[in-house]
Amino acid sequence: MKRIGYILLYLCLGGVALFQVFPIIWLFLFSLKDNREIFAGSPFALPSELRWENYVKVWEGGIGTYFWNSIWITAVAIILTVLFASMVTFAITRMKWKLSKLVLGLFMVGLMIPIHSAIIPLFSMFLNVDLIDNPWSIVITYTAYNLPITIMILLGFYYTLPREIEEAAIMDGCSIHRMFFKIILPMTAPVMSTTVIINMIYNWNEFVFVNTFISSDAYKTLTVGIQNFIGQYMTDWGAIGATLIISVLPILLAFIFFSNKVVEGISASAVKG
Amino acid sequence: MKGKKAITKLVILLFSLVFVLAACSDDDASSDGDSKVIKFMHLWPEGSSKTHYEIVNGIIEDFETDNPGVKVDLEVLSNEQYKDKIQVLSTSDELPDVGMTWAAGYLEPYVNGNKFATLDDLLEGDLADSFVAGTAEAYALDGKTYGLPLELNIATIFYNKAIFEEYGLEAPETLEELEQVIETLNDNGVAPIALGNKDRWTGSLWYMYLADRIGGSDVLTKAIDRSGSFEDPALVQAAEEVQNLVEMDAFVKGFNGLADEEAKSMFMNEQAAMYLIATWDLPNYTTNEDVPQEFRDSVGYFHFPTVDGKGDMNSFVGGPGVGLFVAEDSDVKEEAKDFVSFFVQEWGEKSVTEAGVIPATKLDANSLELPQMYVDVLNDLNSASNLTLFADVQMSPDAAQVHLDMIQAIFGNEVTPEEFTKAHEDALSAEE
Amino acid sequence: MKSSDKRKGLILTSGRSFSISNDMGLNEMNKVMSNKWVITLYVLPALLLIAVLVFIPLILTGYYGLMDWDGVGEMNFIGLENYITAIQDMKFWDSAWHSFLLAIFSTISLVIYLAISLILASKIKGADFLRKIYLIPMLLSSVAIAQLWIKVFNPTNGMLNHILMVLGVENPPAWLADTSIVLFAIFVPILWQYAGFYILIYYAALKNIPESIIEAARIDGASPLQIAYRIKLPLIMGIVKVTIVLAVVGSLKYFDLIYVMTGGGPNGASEVMASYMYKLAFSSKDFGYGSAIGFLLLVITLIVTIVIRKITASKEEIQY
Repeated sequence: MKRIGYILLYLCLGGVALFQVFPIIWLFLFSLKDNREIFAGSPFALPSELRWENYVKVWEGGIGTYFWNSIWITAVAIILTVLFASMVTFAITRMKWKLSKLVLGLFMVGLMIPIHSAIIPLFSMFLNVDLIDNPWSIVITYTAYNLPITIMILLGFYYTLPREIEEAAIMDGCSIHRMFFKIILPMTAPVMSTTVIINMIYNWNEFVFVNTFISSDAYKTLTVGIQNFIGQYMTDWGAIGATLIISVLPILLAFIFFSNKVVEGISASAVKG
Repeated sequence: MKGKKAITKLVILLFSLVFVLAACSDDDASSDGDSKVIKFMHLWPEGSSKTHYEIVNGIIEDFETDNPGVKVDLEVLSNEQYKDKIQVLSTSDELPDVGMTWAAGYLEPYVNGNKFATLDDLLEGDLADSFVAGTAEAYALDGKTYGLPLELNIATIFYNKAIFEEYGLEAPETLEELEQVIETLNDNGVAPIALGNKDRWTGSLWYMYLADRIGGSDVLTKAIDRSGSFEDPALVQAAEEVQNLVEMDAFVKGFNGLADEEAKSMFMNEQAAMYLIATWDLPNYTTNEDVPQEFRDSVGYFHFPTVDGKGDMNSFVGGPGVGLFVAEDSDVKEEAKDFVSFFVQEWGEKSVTEAGVIPATKLDANSLELPQMYVDVLNDLNSASNLTLFADVQMSPDAAQVHLDMIQAIFGNEVTPEEFTKAHEDALSAEE
Repeated sequence: MKSSDKRKGLILTSGRSFSISNDMGLNEMNKVMSNKWVITLYVLPALLLIAVLVFIPLILTGYYGLMDWDGVGEMNFIGLENYITAIQDMKFWDSAWHSFLLAIFSTISLVIYLAISLILASKIKGADFLRKIYLIPMLLSSVAIAQLWIKVFNPTNGMLNHILMVLGVENPPAWLADTSIVLFAIFVPILWQYAGFYILIYYAALKNIPESIIEAARIDGASPLQIAYRIKLPLIMGIVKVTIVLAVVGSLKYFDLIYVMTGGGPNGASEVMASYMYKLAFSSKDFGYGSAIGFLLLVITLIVTIVIRKITASKEEIQY
């Protein structure tokens, strides 16, 4: 009886997994086809010939610079976001001050602004401080726009941290900064990895800001590289597929790395708990 | 106390940032030192439009050689992104010195906002008499020209001759014949017409042609420029004809949810027999090596048929595509104008022989080695009695959206022809 | 480094049973934890960033909403006219209704994600592997996701209709062209894309529950189902509430897939607030009105969020 239940359970989970994994398989097949096959054939039909030239085309399109820009902009923005968000969350959940609720409210409102109504004001602001066509405008925009969601996710975890830890640290004469960096941050490593993954996905795939604030090829990121293959009347979908596959690889690897960190962190804290 | 100091510093730093951000300072550094830089934005990325892209680069190179001390700084975006970015740039008065624009309705706000420079001096000077009649005029407002067209397209119905032959069909010359063709194809399980009406301007082509044939070549133009009315019986009847066609399953299944690109691929994979599109698609049916030769050979085109014996088959829907503008507040306006003039002259012949674009400048078709279909189209253009600009381009952006939404609604049988024309009339008269 | 590690270990091992009873310690604690300078230092960088980069644009959006502006020429102040027009604009309310529907569906689907996470977190084999696979759609950019689903839904060549026809459905619908289905058809990929996101968060939250608590319940004879419902669920309620807010806010301002897959069509049948705003500002060049819609979107989202916070807060009181 129990066995049948398990089989059913795995069938369900496996079914869901299949449903979730198929885009990557599809995308890979897609990246080896030409427009005719992509539009007319079944999505899972094998390409009639393997068009690796799609990848060559993409690579020759100068994707290397875009690649590097994507990596460093994503990384710096993640570090800033997660650090600032942790600090704010710490101050809001663990420290006592009158305006904490209000400040939290402000961050939550930040979650609600639609991107397209923000870009025009942002553009004119960056223009005034000469940050247009400067990758730092992208970094700080990513940081600011991901702070709210990062704080929201951290919040729930910070509330569950036992107070005794802080009490003990302070009794020990530990300074508050030391406590934050040496005790609190390591303890929240699992949830931090979760927010790193989420930030990474958002930053890596972000498109509207880069497109609007950056004009030099030297500062563009991978998502903009896709634009190269979208034409006025015709679009080279095979090449877009290849770009997408190339661009998803690093994030896939980083994701596997960080999600192992989640588990590591969890088992470590579970032992402690 | 140490913490206090650090915070004070931080606050000062960040607040000064806020102040700088809020302060308005307009300084434009288009010319650095003695070399002048022309900022140029276009929408032909290397990946998808390689030949266009290379022609542009060649022109820039030649221009820079001819004009030492002037440099052209290039930014390339894809169509949609280009439009979005131009919109953002214009709010901050940051338009590139030279860029691309569309005709009529699209450029109206820019002209009213005094963003584009007039180019009449070029038309009277170097470029005198070099454009096909009616093309540069599409970029004129109140008698002044603000853009110079690069392409010229007309819409025709492309059809698959092999499929037609198989069922003993001939290219129709009247709507009745077209309807018979549709019936025969439907009876044999072949989708008659590929239409991707998610993009809406595609369906607009059908409506425009029907209006042209039923009410004469100026009925729509008059309704839009307000010398006529959109409640003209011919415009109502055109909408009825659209619904008739939909009723008899003339278009592929689910056309209102298909992008033009999907519809095109159905035609190109021989899943549909006909496809109404403009001549920018010619390379697919002539020179594009990625398309199988067999298919290219089987494609022909015919003019939109007449309706009830009315209409002139040499009247076309079409018009210039993109054109070049020069920004009014450019610091290098003279150089920019020179560049535009140079560009237009070089573009003409190269664009048709290399990229398969029909340019808006006059061409001597006989002196060029061109595929037969190009020669035919160029001849059609020469004998055209009228060219009606795409409706969504003619209208102001606001009215164009109403038109496009209504097109989807009439094709989807969600409004009656009367409601359809009334919505147009309301939108257009609101702007008078 | 080393000494602090040691200290940390010490605290952690003794943490559970450690408590402060004397007033001296408590005062000390309160003093440290309400140090204004420290609070300022911790909050200010982030606060300034969002003040400048989020709140100024937000206020400007509201301000542009008071203007008659095509985004190109001169701005003309017209007071509340745009807002009044918006309130009477049926297209806007239709799009708002569609956004609400998406919010409702997203919230309901959280239950499924939660159930999957509970199963994954209950130490079954391969849970970690499955969890990674579930996040894959989220890793891909919306451009790719949209293209995939456009192909799935294609009425003639699409996978879905192929399957339906094999199953004997004679005339399967044209999913994205039919005004009565399109909205629901397009919800599927959106919910599907975000599944991994919520599973990721729930899984992390569930794994954060100390093993000892669950162990204790198990010794008391609680069944896995009871443990999930009575113990795990209440313990991660805080995070569940957060995800409800995220799902609702995210849905109300949702744009990406809808814009690429249908452009809000046919004839507005899948228009949502954000796509309507975008169309007005960027296609119709009615930037003033578009901004007004953008600002209303924000106000509506704010109100809904406050309501949700109120509802979930009162639930909490009942539970404990």
